[in-house]
Amino acid sequence: MYKAIVIGGSAGSFRVITRILHALPRHFPAPILLNLHRLKHVRSGFVEALSIKSNIPVIEPYDKDSIKPGTAYLAPSNYHMYIELNKKIALSTEEAVNHSRPAIDLSFETAAQTYSRNLLGIILSGANRDGAWGLKKIKDGGGTTIVQDPKECEVPTMTEAALGMSQVDHVLNTQQIIDFLLKIK
Amino acid sequence: MSKQEIGIVDTRNILKSISERHDLDFKNHALTFFKRRLEHILDTYRLRGPDVLVDKIKNDPEFFEFFLKEVCIETTELFRDPSLWRYLKDKFLPGLLRGANRFKIWFPEVSSGEELYSLAILLNEMGHLDKVRFVVGSISQLRLDELQKGLLDMKKMEVNHANFKRIFNDARLEDYYTTRGETGYIDTGLLKNVEIERQNTYYERQPNNVKLIMWRNQMLYFNQILQERLLKSFCRALVPGGHLIIGMNERIDYWNSGKDYILVGEKENIYKKRFS
Repeated sequence: MYKAIVIGGSAGSFRVITRILHALPRHFPAPILLNLHRLKHVRSGFVEALSIKSNIPVIEPYDKDSIKPGTAYLAPSNYHMYIELNKKIALSTEEAVNHSRPAIDLSFETAAQTYSRNLLGIILSGANRDGAWGLKKIKDGGGTTIVQDPKECEVPTMTEAALGMSQVDHVLNTQQIIDFLLKIK
Repeated sequence: MSKQEIGIVDTRNILKSISERHDLDFKNHALTFFKRRLEHILDTYRLRGPDVLVDKIKNDPEFFEFFLKEVCIETTELFRDPSLWRYLKDKFLPGLLRGANRFKIWFPEVSSGEELYSLAILLNEMGHLDKVRFVVGSISQLRLDELQKGLLDMKKMEVNHANFKRIFNDARLEDYYTTRGETGYIDTGLLKNVEIERQNTYYERQPNNVKLIMWRNQMLYFNQILQERLLKSFCRALVPGGHLIIGMNERIDYWNSGKDYILVGEKENIYKKRFS
């Protein structure tokens, strides 16, 4: 069913991500590709913070690393993270998109090209509109899309933009997102 | 977001027309990266489809210079990864400078120049700028022209200043640039020991006896064949025990060129040429 899960978020998404990673079992059957905006000059510490409660390894990938199930890949700060057709990570310092590098749209779009209907895309709380276009690409490619319930979001801009851009499959709160993920075999 | 999409077949056609017309070979650039750049160029220059692009590549030399500039990805900001620059200032460069007469530092692809400007500022703050000769290349003549003028992207000044403050306590970045209208210019006094060379896609115009190669975030855009070829040839440019610095999230594959280099600064991704 799902061969990969991509998650995008910015302001207000950290706690949600932490809860999700904490709830996933150690042998989760798919890779999790995380693209979370953060402060440009905070380089280190984020991966460590996410790792504390996670049961699966959380890593900032190197360029051309292979994508493996049961691992969370966090887009490194100040790089775009692309998903290549050969299921490897590609990083780049190309110009910011939606004022963002990493840009969620770029990870989502390339993940959609690679995994098409075996992809699950999730947009969480956030303060800009990055990710809405990428989520549409996932939907157009036959994948499944989830948006965190804007009522639950600390900052709903990102989720509202995503809901406005395409017909989203599910609008769920954090616990429901977790329940959805735990059903993935 | 980019609206026009280019297929793999179109991408290969464009690669072919470039190599036929211009004697530049992009076939070992990472294919999806190159395809993305082509889409970006179509959008930026409002070209209607890949055929128009092929025609311009073949018949419009001025456009082709813009094309090459777009393929040379910017190095993003001054003092990107402040922890690396702190390490260079406090640990690495003092060791390199000890007892050395003048020596050479090579930037094979200088692109938008921030890495060169940063290192020149750092050495100037350390009082050793005169000890170094920079050899600086690019496949893009426009990039090299902008570098000689000391052009600086003002949109990034906020992050440039924030990075700078994390490395220097007393110094002021303001002392190193001026602004005229919307444009910033780095103090060209920093660039007086810079020698500039136009490169091809194999970076074949090499200096010799190089003590340090700065090559951060360039391997990202190449496939493994080109990475290996360049790592091998850069090794020949280095003096024994010379260093190579690559990007924080790049890696030299041990089973290939890893045998020519030893990782000596793991967090900073600093490699040293093996004595052999």
